[in-house]
Amino acid sequence: MIPLATRILIASVGGQGGLTLARVLAFASVLSGFSVRTGETLGMAQRYGSVVSYVQIGSRVYTPKFTPGEADYLVGLELVESIRNIHYLKPSGFALVADEYRPPYTLSVENPLSTRDQSLDLIKSLHSKTITIPARKLAVEAGNPRALNIVMLGSLNALANIFSHKTIEEAIKHVLPARVVESSIKAYIKGYEYTQATRRDTFT
Amino acid sequence: MVYTPMSLLAEPGTRLPLMGNEAIARGVLEAGVYVVTGYPGTPSSEVIMTLQEYSRDLDIYVEWSINERVALEVAIGAAISGARAMATMKAPGLNVASDPLLSAAYSGVDGGLVVYVADDPGPHTTQTEQDSRWYGELAKLPLISPSSPQEAKDYVVAGVEWSEALGLPVLLRTTTRVSHTVGDVLLGEVKKPRRGKGFRKNPERFVRAGMDWNLERHRWLNNQLARVEELASKYGFNRVIGGGDLCIVTEGAAFNYVLEVVEEYSLSARVLKLGLLYPFPSKFILDNVRDCREILVVEELDPYIEQHLKIVLYDAGLHIPIRGKTTRHIPLEGELDKSTVLSALGLKQTIQPRTPHKTPRRPPPLCPGCPHRFTFLALKRAISKMGFKLSEVPVIGDIGCYALSVYKPIDMLWTEHSMGASISMAMGLKLAGVDKPVVAVIGDSTLYHAGLQSLIEAVNKSVDLLVVVVDNGVVAMTGHQSTPAWSTSETGRVLKPISLDDLVKAVNPDDFRVVDSYNYDELVGVFEELIDKPGVKVVVSRHPCALLEARLKGVKTRYTVDVELCRGCKACLVVTGCPAIVMEGGRARIIQEDCNGCGLCTRFCPYGAIKQSG
Repeated sequence: MIPLATRILIASVGGQGGLTLARVLAFASVLSGFSVRTGETLGMAQRYGSVVSYVQIGSRVYTPKFTPGEADYLVGLELVESIRNIHYLKPSGFALVADEYRPPYTLSVENPLSTRDQSLDLIKSLHSKTITIPARKLAVEAGNPRALNIVMLGSLNALANIFSHKTIEEAIKHVLPARVVESSIKAYIKGYEYTQATRRDTFT
Repeated sequence: MVYTPMSLLAEPGTRLPLMGNEAIARGVLEAGVYVVTGYPGTPSSEVIMTLQEYSRDLDIYVEWSINERVALEVAIGAAISGARAMATMKAPGLNVASDPLLSAAYSGVDGGLVVYVADDPGPHTTQTEQDSRWYGELAKLPLISPSSPQEAKDYVVAGVEWSEALGLPVLLRTTTRVSHTVGDVLLGEVKKPRRGKGFRKNPERFVRAGMDWNLERHRWLNNQLARVEELASKYGFNRVIGGGDLCIVTEGAAFNYVLEVVEEYSLSARVLKLGLLYPFPSKFILDNVRDCREILVVEELDPYIEQHLKIVLYDAGLHIPIRGKTTRHIPLEGELDKSTVLSALGLKQTIQPRTPHKTPRRPPPLCPGCPHRFTFLALKRAISKMGFKLSEVPVIGDIGCYALSVYKPIDMLWTEHSMGASISMAMGLKLAGVDKPVVAVIGDSTLYHAGLQSLIEAVNKSVDLLVVVVDNGVVAMTGHQSTPAWSTSETGRVLKPISLDDLVKAVNPDDFRVVDSYNYDELVGVFEELIDKPGVKVVVSRHPCALLEARLKGVKTRYTVDVELCRGCKACLVVTGCPAIVMEGGRARIIQEDCNGCGLCTRFCPYGAIKQSG
């Protein structure tokens, strides 16, 4: 039923792997016997533009779309995009945000002095239940800098606890190319473990 | 549960997360379709792209066509010989294909033919919020519209069978939130592709030059349409969910929002979910609305259902209040969501939406290394060097990635209209008396699609125009599909490449040049030389799509900013607008994994701070 549905908004810059992350979640959902819908707009050179993916998982869901104030989790692969979409969260929802900073053209031109730290402070001031993840560092440690999105998947599952590790591994195996499966699973575990530890420090 | 790896060819009974378009691709296999054609267009492209990935295992024809009209004509040809066929396109593509579509209704088909068209409420990626449901009525062809990936697949199978039973092409119409939604889909049996049985001569049916025949075929068509609702009933396109005297009539993606609201708010409502939209299912409606207290119509784009519903109720002498777009309970523009349904029902959202934090926009730019960036910056430079103001030289654009040059800082495009319109609209400007130079910019695939006729027209009428063909060798905007210049298609089919240069030269323009887009100085020189000369001058600015090159061959050289030398003047960024360059703490930084190594930015750094990083 709808009230039990988990709503996840993935905010990213086109090309960062937000769509792939949504697809892994969809696959894990089907493997777990959940109903799932994910949705985004793709196809028109959305690379380097703002991209959001809606993900809704539950026993019975009909649409990927939900409205501002309804998301349980915001998974941000980039800071400015996370700030842009923070209003999608419920007051009780969690923001899981990679500390990746890619200011858009207008921000770079109008405020060239702005920094990553300012964005980090801003997002925490906008939503107190925010955990920032050194996702790029963890992805590099896992041996795949491109796996920033999968680090964030680990982070999400550490908080949301929707899927077993085994299910996530299966989903990764079926969605991602064989050559990156091993490093992606490592990236997932890195994100998971980091977030579990941080969560204890931050919210207990 | 039954489980096999994610594959379009997975066993029946497997449940997979499929995007609507992937589900339609699976439907093609379950329907035994043998010929699939189309032209790329968001949000419709993934049907053919998905099928092509598996083409080695499939004994079907699945190839991109030069344009939608040709795609549909090929599919019609296959279907009148008894093969099962499908043509795919975005909404404006159906406008291009509308001529053969209307004639096909009179001729009918022997093999099932489904014409797939994807609308785009929002709009997210389309020039208009066109409502292609009207094409059912205009072409007098049955039209069905699914709500989910599962239905999208099932409707292909039903549509093909039903098309064959009726002898008419069937329109399958979706919207972005069906085509691009991923959902769980239960797979069915795959059928052996149905090939043609041979084509029997029958001029009364297939020759539209005989006016008596046409009148007769029109009668035949109307008779077939009268049978549609009854024939459709066995496919369960229309259904009723729930009960009560508050009735909601809906279809497509809007149905999902309605259902979520009804369940979430435990509403007592009777939801009439329509899948068959033309001919309008009058009997189903009358069977289910007679005792409604009032009716809310929830649909995206035009008040299509609303208008048809009013006719049905009027004819039946029923006076039931109807809320919808006409009464402004549902907006006439844009995409719907749950909140629109809630407010139309007079309900308040339980969750108070939060105010967004004002954040600078990030529209999609030209990619790092994009050859179009060189072309537009060179054109800008040449216009200025010739003593013209940028505000007095119209640059008439066309449809493709290069339209992204409308955004700052490149800011060069004056129009983007419809496929192939650049050259012909530029010609109109000149005829109307624009005395300064006029430039038309068109991509390679767009030139093949619909630009050649415009070029012939301009050369034939001797208009003064600079035509810039930006040739990156691929349909890049929609995800890198093949063009007629390729020698092998995505499926491995050996093609006879059609040379763009030979085609243009055959039209005999007054000047013709080919320049490598990365050769910025040469481009500036050629544009300077030609912009003011009489006649039609064609410059082909050619370089492969940087994104595709990077994916296929990797990036050999990248650039980085020496922070000791950078003074934070922003020149690299404000000239090129390259998305790999950001300003952070007053210094420029190049995002290494995004840099495609074109080196254009180095040209504009006054301090020599941008260097190769390896």
